[in-house]
Amino acid sequence: MISAERIIRSLEEAISKANTEMDPKIVELLDLYDGPFSGVLRENAAVAKESGLPICQDTGFLEFFVFQGNEVALEEPIIETLNSAVKKVYTDSPFRYSIVSDPLFNRENTGDNTPVICHLFPMRGDKLEIRFLVKGGGSENLSRLFMLNPSATVDELVRTVVESLRESAARGCPPLKVGIGIGGSSDKAMVLAKLALTRSFEERHQNKDYAALEERILREINGLKIGYQGLGTGITAYSVHIETYPTHIATMPVGLATDCYIARKGRVIFED
Amino acid sequence: MKIEELRVGDELLYSGEFLIMRDAAQKRLKQMVEERKELPVSLDGAIIFYAGPAKPTKDSFGAIGPTTSSRMDSFLEMLFMKGVLATVGKGKRSKQAVSLCKEYGRVYFLAPSGAAAALAGRISDMTTLAFEDLGTEAIFKVHVKDFPLYVAIDSLGNDVFINE
Repeated sequence: MISAERIIRSLEEAISKANTEMDPKIVELLDLYDGPFSGVLRENAAVAKESGLPICQDTGFLEFFVFQGNEVALEEPIIETLNSAVKKVYTDSPFRYSIVSDPLFNRENTGDNTPVICHLFPMRGDKLEIRFLVKGGGSENLSRLFMLNPSATVDELVRTVVESLRESAARGCPPLKVGIGIGGSSDKAMVLAKLALTRSFEERHQNKDYAALEERILREINGLKIGYQGLGTGITAYSVHIETYPTHIATMPVGLATDCYIARKGRVIFED
Repeated sequence: MKIEELRVGDELLYSGEFLIMRDAAQKRLKQMVEERKELPVSLDGAIIFYAGPAKPTKDSFGAIGPTTSSRMDSFLEMLFMKGVLATVGKGKRSKQAVSLCKEYGRVYFLAPSGAAAALAGRISDMTTLAFEDLGTEAIFKVHVKDFPLYVAIDSLGNDVFINE
């Protein structure tokens, strides 16, 4: 059995780190950026790491992807453990509470940044893998779902994604990390797009056609020249990640999700 | 700082006062205006910073940074009618917002997004002015020192975001 306490301890560290320490690859690229606000952005990376203040005031909502082996026993439903971990980290740290209890009528802040969002992926085996995104609201609002015709060409798919980002990328704190879910149903495509964002920058799709498509879409997005802070200097996107799933003969769902320039994420793995 | 002399692309370090408010507070203000109620704060001559601060620590004001301005474009005319001189946020705004800046002779600044820890050191003396029940979405007044700004829409209606 994997105890709730053990999971909470690991997650606490990983979530704090995601909010205060930039990925080394991002720091490396930021050092190459010379444009509006480049000085204060570099200063920010250093101050956050040193002071424990978050890199961004929007410390997001927590979206978890839980891969649970059938031999793994847990003390309590995993979502309760995830909520406890987030509540602990956010109330103990100088992080913002950004969650409201009701989306429409009573947008009252819940005061501890919970509840979290949790996607479950049942697996075989004795491992429990938990990936997460710390997802800010600005980049989240760039999310889109396109129900393309099943006969859509690769070019149409690329154009759909690139045109959407041409309109929206400047609002999402670029350079962006781009996740694309192709296939499944409407909801599955969106979850796949989010899951794609949990991959590391270098991780290409295992199928060479999709890997090449990731490269092509990245080139086209960078061709938009939206740049850091949306002001036209430097790269527009770091990487594109595609996840796929079988789909219905009448459909081709395409989900689009983006992460802002700090692309906060984490991953912890346990064995039972 | 003379608002009308600023031009798109100008970068400056601003020292002075900001009123902080975002979506929920402006929605409430708009409702009060429609109901002809007196507003709880004076906006005359104010610079509005679209932001929601994180928590302070014992050594620091706490992380702060701009949120997406275009979400609040529908409140911009109300702000200008109440005397707001400039707004500070992130990202491009609607054509309507650009027209309003030209019509009223006001400007829109970008503040660096995703630089919250660094900006914390440039802010002091935060007081809550209204709507405390909204938490991070309340209306606050802060003093800022050497706060980096970039002119994205000037009072002639020039807009830095050309990707329409």
